[in-house]
Amino acid sequence: MPIQYYIAFAATLFCIGVVGVLTRRNAIIVFMCIELMLNAVNLLLVAFSKMHHAAALAGGGKNVTTGVEGQLFVFFIMVVAAAEVSVGLAIIVMMYRNVHSVDVNFLNRLKN
Amino acid sequence: MTEQQLMALLPFMVLAAASIVIILLIAFRQGHTVIQVTGFLLMCLVIFAMWYVRGVLPQTIAPLLIVDGFGALFTGLIVFCVLVVGLFSYIYFEEREENPREYYILIFLSTLGAAILTISRHFMSFFIGLELLSISLYALIAYLRTRNNAIEAGIKYLVLAALTSAFLLFGMALIYMETGSMDFAVIAQRLNAAGKSSALFLTGFGVMMVAVGFKLALVPFHLWAADVYQGAPSPVASFIATVSKVGVFAVFLRFCQELHLQNNSAVMMLISAVAILSMISGNILALRQQNLKRLLAYSSIAHFGYLLVAFLPGNNTGVEAAVFYLTAYAITILAAFGIIILLSPGEKDADSLSMYRGLFWDKPFMAIVLTVALLSLAGIPLTAGFIGKFYVLTAGVEQRAWLPVIVLVITSVIGLYYYLRIISTIFADSPVTIQKERSLNQFFYTASYAALVVLTLLLFGIGVMPAVIIQGIKQFLVIDR
Amino acid sequence: MILIWMIIILLAGGILCWLLSKSNSPAIKWIALLAVLIDLVLLLNIWLQHGQGLTANTGNWMIQYQSAWIPSFGISFHVAMDGLSLILVMLTFFLGTLAVLCSWKEIEKRAGFYYFNLLWTLAGITGVFVALDLFLFYFFWEVMLVPMYLLILIWGDKNRRYAAYKFFIFTQAGGLLMLISILALYFIHGAQSGTYTYDYLSLLGTRIDPSVAKWIMMGFMIAFVIKLPMVPFHNWLPDAHSEAPTAGSLILAGLLLKTGAYGIIRFVLPLFQQYAADIAWWAMLFGVIGVIYGAMMAFAQTDLKRLIAYTSVSHMGFVLTGIFAFREIAMQGVIMQIITHGISTGALFVLAGMIKERLHTRDISQMGGLWSYMPAMGGAAMLFTMASLGLPALGNFIAEFLILLGTFQANPTFTVLASTGLVFSALYSLRLMQKVFLGPPNAPHKVNDISGREFIILAALSISIVLLGLFPQAVLDVAGKVISNKLYVIR
Repeated sequence: MPIQYYIAFAATLFCIGVVGVLTRRNAIIVFMCIELMLNAVNLLLVAFSKMHHAAALAGGGKNVTTGVEGQLFVFFIMVVAAAEVSVGLAIIVMMYRNVHSVDVNFLNRLKN
Repeated sequence: MTEQQLMALLPFMVLAAASIVIILLIAFRQGHTVIQVTGFLLMCLVIFAMWYVRGVLPQTIAPLLIVDGFGALFTGLIVFCVLVVGLFSYIYFEEREENPREYYILIFLSTLGAAILTISRHFMSFFIGLELLSISLYALIAYLRTRNNAIEAGIKYLVLAALTSAFLLFGMALIYMETGSMDFAVIAQRLNAAGKSSALFLTGFGVMMVAVGFKLALVPFHLWAADVYQGAPSPVASFIATVSKVGVFAVFLRFCQELHLQNNSAVMMLISAVAILSMISGNILALRQQNLKRLLAYSSIAHFGYLLVAFLPGNNTGVEAAVFYLTAYAITILAAFGIIILLSPGEKDADSLSMYRGLFWDKPFMAIVLTVALLSLAGIPLTAGFIGKFYVLTAGVEQRAWLPVIVLVITSVIGLYYYLRIISTIFADSPVTIQKERSLNQFFYTASYAALVVLTLLLFGIGVMPAVIIQGIKQFLVIDR
Repeated sequence: MILIWMIIILLAGGILCWLLSKSNSPAIKWIALLAVLIDLVLLLNIWLQHGQGLTANTGNWMIQYQSAWIPSFGISFHVAMDGLSLILVMLTFFLGTLAVLCSWKEIEKRAGFYYFNLLWTLAGITGVFVALDLFLFYFFWEVMLVPMYLLILIWGDKNRRYAAYKFFIFTQAGGLLMLISILALYFIHGAQSGTYTYDYLSLLGTRIDPSVAKWIMMGFMIAFVIKLPMVPFHNWLPDAHSEAPTAGSLILAGLLLKTGAYGIIRFVLPLFQQYAADIAWWAMLFGVIGVIYGAMMAFAQTDLKRLIAYTSVSHMGFVLTGIFAFREIAMQGVIMQIITHGISTGALFVLAGMIKERLHTRDISQMGGLWSYMPAMGGAAMLFTMASLGLPALGNFIAEFLILLGTFQANPTFTVLASTGLVFSALYSLRLMQKVFLGPPNAPHKVNDISGREFIILAALSISIVLLGLFPQAVLDVAGKVISNKLYVIR
């Protein structure tokens, strides 16, 4: 499959995520949308990794490791995303305890 | 990995060990004081380790890290800030409702993240450092969890930081596609080989700028700054203002230096535009603020706009100016937050401007420290801020970046107005509203006082005798690759 | 080195005053007075030593001191004194002494901090007059700002906050523009000669591309004409002068305005000779506008201190016109005007302060017939209003006459217009005397005539203004070497 398909697919997912973050009010759904964006990036990275690897093979190299860092990066992103979710959900729980809602529109008291 | 490379990483390993030590101390049910003192000593140990390994620099730990003079300089600044913030934290958290002990784990983890940013030379270490920094910050901002303000600030920061991290990754992926590498040096090579910069690269860089702009609170990604500064506990706000921004700025600077982006006119246009917008809106938003923490947030937006003016030239003067400015700014902002922390009564922070009326006649020492800090922010001579601003202007004029320089001058005159407003409040002729009786740990109160004295002396010292610091910065920057 | 000691004495005296502020002892005043007097004596000593042999060894510079400060930028701590500086520093310490004396009774609360600010302002002004490194000059230019701001802010009148802001922001705006110009000059000179330095003497020879030079010069000019003040930029002056405490007004009128004139003479003319000549016509025009506008505004005021403030605008208009006439004789007049205006207007502010201390108002309509209560003060006031309107035998007459004489050679039309300013000045001066001291007594209660301390202040001022009127040559001799330097006289 040409690389453009992957880019288009990932970009679509990413945009859905952005739109979700900007329009949804439920903190948990907002968080899910961010996860969606991260996974879109993961997809992109894997695709690019494969693309660079294929290019290096076509260039004549045997047993090349070109492009491996793209896939490595994906693992890091997954780990970090998990950490982010755990802290994020904890804060959202705390919010629920305080205001009995996870609606982000409740958060508007910080102003003069 | 050679022995020397391991040696070069020693300060960072000590920093990483610091949070583990604190965890162990908590496991063995040690008190706040023990943790505080241990944390302080560990940070001193980090500085000692940096001094100890100075001979083996620079070291490249391929492919992720490079410990050179640049990194050491920024790491030193970060650790210095954490030392001061940690010291102020004791007084602050001792009288808050929350158990203060886990706070230190988070703050050291966050510091580690910022320190890694300063030595990273690869997208992966960039990302990991940034996330280490921000994930700990989410928890730190919301640390006083029964207060709605803190939770609100925490969620805002959480959502926006996570969103911008995704943008950062997206940008990185695009650049990776274009160049096939995540190593700054290799990216630079491939871009050079390609000759002109492609649209894909520019898009990638622009998307990455979203994340950098967010962390540095540059316009148009500055909306969180005021809320988070106001809602977060004061020591955490000072931490965000100094450590987090220094770290992100360091990696951004290294990235742009490595890729010679200063020769790329499109990128420079983008950055000048961001700088100009930040200077203008930061200063204008601060004009009517009645809340000191929010005001400092807006002024920090403007200050990072000034800093970008020093960033534009991309030559040595620019880097020196940026480092000097950041140093002066960090000291200043720590002094200002130190006063806020010391004056804050237990149930809320002393952030309303009306609480400072006539402070000079009641607590002359604190008023003087705050006044000096504000004058330094305004860039008045005798203070470090003036030399910083002068350095930045020098860099800008040398590069003939007239538009940003003129905007800098005009906006800093506007900025003068709100600094003077606070100063005139401090010297106002009226009864003091802050009535705070201290029955706290006398030792740490004195220590915080001493820290403030040191900060103030540093402000004056750098303002009058900048040659020493400038020489130091130059010597560090020579240690390069 | 002695120049640095003079500044250090003021700074140290200020800090000492502040440290003693807890005890609120009378020693504070004496320390402040002593600090200024020591400086005055030191300076008189310099004058006696070098006053005659100005042409002697080191060119125009009697005393020079230079040491590295921030070598990586080419910034050095370079101070030096020539005739012009000597006269202005002398004026600084003379008025500084009087400023301390006239605060003696007026400032009761927070005296320690007050004298700290007063002495630091004086130190900054002294620094401005002796700095020969452009960075150092800018440094002192700003240093004098903060304590002056605090003087107005804390010890001023009702509207002091507003006045203090305005004063600070106006000056700072000009100052930053000047800083950019200084930086531009620094880089142009560096690119030409290879040595990057802020040293005035090295920068003198810089050749600048005309298109750029104009802009660089404007940066300097704006900073200086705001301070001077020239008419569209004079807005801060009436507020700051009228709201400041007496000593503050004295220093503002007597010294701070002079830093603007000094800056033009010392920096703009020598650094940008050719381009200064190009804007001479405009500068003279604005000077003349200032003369007339200031006088007319002064005539319309009902607030005593505001009235005097506007006379400053008028008098400094003469200075601007005189400088840009580019005639030696006019420049001599400018030097005289700088000094005599400092003394006569300073004296008027002191008098206004004394009246306010007694009547608790600055409103002229509530005064009247004060002569009958206070003949001695009335006499002094008569002397200084006459000086202000330019009565022969008093210093101001010489100054304005010389300026007009020089200007006439350059541009007769402006001279004629400026002379009408003298007529207006007669009007406002006489109105001032009539409303305040003559006419039916209007004072609410009996007021005392001047005390011994006030007598000393007024006597010192009176004697000096008369001496300046009778022996102007003494001043012109000291400054002569500087003025006759061909840098200032072009056509």
